[in-house]
Amino acid sequence: MPEFRVRRTAAISVTAILTGLIPSGIAVLVLVGLAALARLARSTPPLDEAAARSLLGDDFPEAQIDRIWLAGDGSSALARSGARALYLFRLGDAWVARDLAWTEAAAAPVQDGRLHLRLPGVSPRLARPVLAGWPPETA
Amino acid sequence: MLEAPFDPIKLAVPFFILAILLEIGLGRLRLAKAEYEARDTLASLAMGLLRGVPALLTAGLVFAATVWAWEHRIFTVPFTAWWGWVAIFFLEDLTYYAFHRLSHERRLWWAAHVNHHSSQHYNLSTALRQTWTGSLVGTWILWLPLAFVGFSPAQIFIQQGISLVYQFWIHTEAVGRMPAWFEAVFNTPSHHRVHHARNPRYLDRNYAGILIIWDKLFGTFQAELDAEKPRYGLIRNLGSFNILTVAFHEWIAIARDLASARSLREVGGYLFGPPGWSPDGSRDTSESLRARWAARQAAASTPAE
Repeated sequence: MPEFRVRRTAAISVTAILTGLIPSGIAVLVLVGLAALARLARSTPPLDEAAARSLLGDDFPEAQIDRIWLAGDGSSALARSGARALYLFRLGDAWVARDLAWTEAAAAPVQDGRLHLRLPGVSPRLARPVLAGWPPETA
Repeated sequence: MLEAPFDPIKLAVPFFILAILLEIGLGRLRLAKAEYEARDTLASLAMGLLRGVPALLTAGLVFAATVWAWEHRIFTVPFTAWWGWVAIFFLEDLTYYAFHRLSHERRLWWAAHVNHHSSQHYNLSTALRQTWTGSLVGTWILWLPLAFVGFSPAQIFIQQGISLVYQFWIHTEAVGRMPAWFEAVFNTPSHHRVHHARNPRYLDRNYAGILIIWDKLFGTFQAELDAEKPRYGLIRNLGSFNILTVAFHEWIAIARDLASARSLREVGGYLFGPPGWSPDGSRDTSESLRARWAARQAAASTPAE
């Protein structure tokens, strides 16, 4: 017979879970606060055309970029690559890229100077760039 | 023995906190490379903090299955035998390799694991960006053979904990390379940086837990190259720090794909094909990305005629 060492254990208790989570949660907040105070984020200077091309090249190495529109604050850029639109935006101290059909990007509404792109999984405020020179003359 | 006399992970929590403080301090003093973004760090640590809550849903089932397997064991490995610990060290690490490879190469399990790779940073907080849905996809079944062989549930639990604690310290850019003999045998920060990189050369490489020998044995090893700095994160990085997005984005993508599936073959492909599988091959998988990268490399090195 296998050796059993059974101890009378309490059923899973919400109180016990909370008791464990609360100090851990405080530790998490302290660590996040210290990480913010230490200012260890990467430098992400405003985009210029060369930087946007280089960053898009990381995510879409085979894309031939026809034209780029930059946001005035350098936080995002939209490029046309044939039938595709490539969108690049800053998230925290990093860059994120997405692609969508060019027709979709060209047809996206512009409200108060902001282009409203529909990008699943992307916070809406990050998908509403103010692009210099937008809309293009020939969409 | 059913109940583990100690939990390596709980014992290591103070070490985790102190090590992150040390990494932040060294980074601040510019004595080591350490990049932290507060919201990214919060997402990672919150994922780690809350990982135990969804695991409660399956904890009883996992424990019962392991006990059942152990009750039907072939041998009995005494908990106190030194050779038993040596044996489980290797066998558990091999199991981890299989689990980890499955978690990258098949989409159902990738959906549970992807959150660990979703940060564009590589620091000690990334180590704690743990899955919430791992226990729901049944990978714990891979550890049942250890119980069938004769390792007690307590011994398996402890060795799993030791492996996870070991893997904490390798999530850092503060350590360059370890001595050559160590790099040859063990998983290290250098090897694991490759694993977290999204450069085509580095995709789906270095699945090791503690020992890198399994990758060398099964052909999935890739050394970190000084000429190719790892770029961390996913092929398509997340557009949000929301932890619900971090935890569930791939599950949502699977649901969307299944809703559009037109045949059982497509359902199977979306669930059990490699991440990026699509019926018409229009999406990228690690294999297709690597093949196109290799083609570009070859074209670039071929002299123009």
